[in-house]
Amino acid sequence: MTHPKHIEMRSVRKAFRFFTLEDLSLDLEPGQIMGFVGPNGAGKSTSIRLMTGLLTPDAGEVRVLGHAMPDEQAIAKRDIGFVSDDMRLFAHASVGWHMQFVASIYPGWDPQYAKALVKRFNLRTEQNVSGLSSGEHVKAVLMLALARRPRLLILDEPTSGLDPVARHEVLTEFMDVLRDEDRSILFSSHNTVDVERISDRITFIDRGRLVDSNDKETFLDRWRRIQLQLPAGATLPDLPHVISRVVDGQFVTLTTNHFSQDLIAFLGSNVREVHRMSLEEIFAANEHAHPQTDRQRVLHPPLAHHRHHGCRIRRFGHRHRR
Amino acid sequence: MLTWLTTIVAFGVVLAMLGIANERKERALQFVLSLPLSPGDYVRVKLFGLFLCYLVPWVILSAGAVVLLLVRPNLPDGLLPFAVLLSGFMLANFSVVLCGALHTASEGVMTIVIIVTNMNVTLFIFMVGGVPSLHDHLRAAAPVWNDSFWIVLAVEAATLLIALSLPYFVAARRRDFI
Repeated sequence: MTHPKHIEMRSVRKAFRFFTLEDLSLDLEPGQIMGFVGPNGAGKSTSIRLMTGLLTPDAGEVRVLGHAMPDEQAIAKRDIGFVSDDMRLFAHASVGWHMQFVASIYPGWDPQYAKALVKRFNLRTEQNVSGLSSGEHVKAVLMLALARRPRLLILDEPTSGLDPVARHEVLTEFMDVLRDEDRSILFSSHNTVDVERISDRITFIDRGRLVDSNDKETFLDRWRRIQLQLPAGATLPDLPHVISRVVDGQFVTLTTNHFSQDLIAFLGSNVREVHRMSLEEIFAANEHAHPQTDRQRVLHPPLAHHRHHGCRIRRFGHRHRR
Repeated sequence: MLTWLTTIVAFGVVLAMLGIANERKERALQFVLSLPLSPGDYVRVKLFGLFLCYLVPWVILSAGAVVLLLVRPNLPDGLLPFAVLLSGFMLANFSVVLCGALHTASEGVMTIVIIVTNMNVTLFIFMVGGVPSLHDHLRAAAPVWNDSFWIVLAVEAATLLIALSLPYFVAARRRDFI
């Protein structure tokens, strides 16, 4: 028996007055942790709301745990633990009341695990939610989601508001969830260090479009920062997949999102250093290359349209940024 | 009578505000919708649950008013039809508040709904209480259940049904719930 993909989005479109999520397709397989990253306003929360059935796509298809969303959301949500940073519990009820409430709904609620999480997260079951700090509140919501042992955890900025120790505890719990190979996590965060640490697949969206979705190693492997030293007066032609180019005299720093040895071979002896980039550097590089005002760009021009053939370093004026 | 009116109105406003509007304002709605239910289920549960919650004080207060009219010798029984109509109006009025709360996410709109429905109580008392075929029998020794009474009661019932049905056809079928 084949297990359905935990999340399948196909050519999903959702338009608002000032924002459109366009042609989003992504897959999350059982057993994976997907880091879902992108700058503010990229469409992460919109995508997550589509996955959880809170929004209906204008076009395309969303399936979660094999169920069509939003029509079958009530069934799908039996196996989804959804946590969002702007989700709040009932202020005048206690943590313990919430635990009983959630336990009464989910047959898979694990009281022993819940108890262990309460202890690990330093929560007090008798405390009212209104008296929790923002970090404790986040941990309480996560505890309620984790202890129901969902097959799919969808986490929208779950670690925002947590101190480093609490973040470490929470991320460790996420890793524990993945001991069961039938479970998976979609994890959206601004904290690229967290995402890089726990994800085995990274999906990067920006301005409502998918920039890249790949396993972490492949994703990180594609990005490189290349430092060149050009002969005096020389300049580089436009190169495919170079998303930024910073020129400082003879020194040029290129950032590429499709690194290949062909590119290094083409640049030849001008190459001084090639750096692997962290997710945070990739995030920042993409943002600098495509500032918020640039909305008409093509994010992934087809490779066939950009050939190295015929490109030569020419003696023209410098271009400071592409 | 003022205490009776204030109590019954307050129950309705508090239930709608605590049960729906505050849940949205305090962002607990996302938590509720993370549970295995659809927005349609949410609307149905809220509508049914809050209506039942309101029925408890409404039945007690309405029955109390009727009993008071029957047992107090200084109050004419002719007031009974008007008391029944006023109770029915309060129930219909609450259903309008509930319908409004389920349809709007705007605090401003909700405030307007509450103000308008509260003002309607005064309007009802003056307008329906001023209908000659009802007004003329208020001081009668025995209640008069004439056509005017049944017409007003039918309008109240229709308002109630429309206000309670509308969320099933509109709010429960919204494409985007948050």
